[in-house]
Amino acid sequence: MNTLLTRSKNLGQYGIFGAFLVICLGLAVVNPQFMTVSNWTIIITQVSINALLAFGVTFVIITGGIDLSLGSIVAVTGVVAASLAHPDTYPVVVPIGVGFLSGVAMGALNGLVITKSKVPPFIVTLGMMTIGRGLALILSKGRPISNLSDSFNFIGGGSVVGIPFPILILVVFFVICTLLLKKTVLGRYIYAVGGNEQAAMASGIRVNKVKMAVYTLCGGLAGLAGILLTARITTGQPNAGAGFELDAIAAAIIGGTSTSGGTGTMMGTLIGALLIGVISNGLDLLNVTSYYQQVVMGAIIIGAVVLDSWNQKK
Amino acid sequence: MCTKVLYELYIHYFEFTLFQPKLTYNTMKRTLIGSALCALLLVGCGQGSSENKEANGSKKITIGVTMLSMQNEFIVKVSDEIEKKAQEMGVELIVVDAERSALKQVEQVESFIAQKVDAIIMNPCEVEASSPAVTKALAAKIPIVNVNSETSAAPTAFVGSDDVESARIAMKYIAEKLGGKGNILMMHGYMGQAAQIKREQGAREILKQFPNLKLLAHQTGEWDRAKAMSLMENWIQSYGPNINAVFAQNDEMGMGAVNALTAAGLKDKVVVVSIDAIPDALQAVKKGTLNATVFQNAQQQGANALETAVKIVKGEKFEKQTLIPFQLVTKENVETLLK
Repeated sequence: MNTLLTRSKNLGQYGIFGAFLVICLGLAVVNPQFMTVSNWTIIITQVSINALLAFGVTFVIITGGIDLSLGSIVAVTGVVAASLAHPDTYPVVVPIGVGFLSGVAMGALNGLVITKSKVPPFIVTLGMMTIGRGLALILSKGRPISNLSDSFNFIGGGSVVGIPFPILILVVFFVICTLLLKKTVLGRYIYAVGGNEQAAMASGIRVNKVKMAVYTLCGGLAGLAGILLTARITTGQPNAGAGFELDAIAAAIIGGTSTSGGTGTMMGTLIGALLIGVISNGLDLLNVTSYYQQVVMGAIIIGAVVLDSWNQKK
Repeated sequence: MCTKVLYELYIHYFEFTLFQPKLTYNTMKRTLIGSALCALLLVGCGQGSSENKEANGSKKITIGVTMLSMQNEFIVKVSDEIEKKAQEMGVELIVVDAERSALKQVEQVESFIAQKVDAIIMNPCEVEASSPAVTKALAAKIPIVNVNSETSAAPTAFVGSDDVESARIAMKYIAEKLGGKGNILMMHGYMGQAAQIKREQGAREILKQFPNLKLLAHQTGEWDRAKAMSLMENWIQSYGPNINAVFAQNDEMGMGAVNALTAAGLKDKVVVVSIDAIPDALQAVKKGTLNATVFQNAQQQGANALETAVKIVKGEKFEKQTLIPFQLVTKENVETLLK
């Protein structure tokens, strides 16, 4: 049983990895500009924000939950960070720290309400999505916050030894999230809760604590994404991040995370996020209108899930 | 303020019952509580307004205002100016936010009609879908003034600017800067919105006049800075040094393009022009990163809309259509707008 599960999981992941390679090869043939180092640097930079959100939501989806408030958390943390990041006010750690913590707080609040009230995560985080959007508008008075310090903008636009900073952040958090999920007790509990909540509870896992941890983690990663986005577009906008949660969930699902919980890997999610980025970049390079981009993206999401369910049956 | 709360409650209750498949105990309870709250507020409001009347001696003019979206900086400016002018002229205002939903906007106008306001100012969400609001107001003999954008049904008066013209101004500037020859990229807003359609139309009119201006590619940036930045990065990959100019249909996208071009070290070689003159864009024009923007006068639109509405209520002569002119903003004249 156990080997069967891991085998099917791997198959799903190979499937999407294969699809990813085929799409990349296809784009490389059609447009020689696609396979250049400079283009890939841009793709990965663009993907970094969605990937951070997708890592967070992968934890949540593995436990069998969902988080729809990601986009709003991005907006709140972006606005909070921006309001503290004006030149010659605070050192750059303050906007980063406070922004990150506001993401953590919102995630923890999600977790608290979900575990205490037993209301489905879909509804709690849907509520938080609206609350967060409202908070972002209140904090910013409905206006974008600009004039940010250079050291803050460096997070989104700077590079270290030729590598854009967002890519470095992406790599670091990919490693951290992978280790957390694969090598720690918490990681095993996360799979256990999503696989069978009753059984997990019976075997002594404190399910509520695990859930609390994943939503908090997800909020924190969304906070980082919000800071990254704000630094990238050099302004904190209350309407930023709208719809980001759907891209993040799409990345996780394309990467083989099952919405019924219990399965999923960070590698899969990373490839899912890269696939979304590659398609949008490739279609821009080919000058395909965005109408078709949306159709292609939707088809790939459905295709990934169909592939996954076939593999489950095998 | 009081009426606004009441109105929100009413809409809330309305929407709630609309989406309920059947009446359950819970909805009934909610309905009862909702009605009770409304009734309470109504009593409170009634007392409040009667005091107002006594203090002033005569009946104040009341105008209902419904705005497209209070999340949009430009719209907030128009609305602020309407409120400022209303205070000056001693007009009572009820300002509500349609949150980009034409359906909601029509409901809001219906409630204005039920409240028997003297006039309505509407900042329409959509050309077609907001039209029933105009028809209903006119049928109830309440004058309605459209501000900033149009509906297909003709209102009592219109105050705004012609979006087609703003794009003509922007594109003419690009043509001038490039000497009538070069490669241009265009960033659209949300496809199918009135502003996007008109700004595209204006830009294409000018492109036709200059056969040596080539539109390399055009794509939507959804009015959004982050989206536009990614789009520009991708365009730089495929067109690189061949890009001579970018026309973005709003400043947010223009700023995104500037960010991407600056990061790629191409900003000095590419002309970027956008529309709206938001504060960020004005700063960028001053710094010289954004070459030009087109100023749409929110203050004049707001003030003029209120003045027109008051004139109509008082039975004075008024303009059926007031077009507030645009102004090209470049480094030379940006100081006049940066107060």
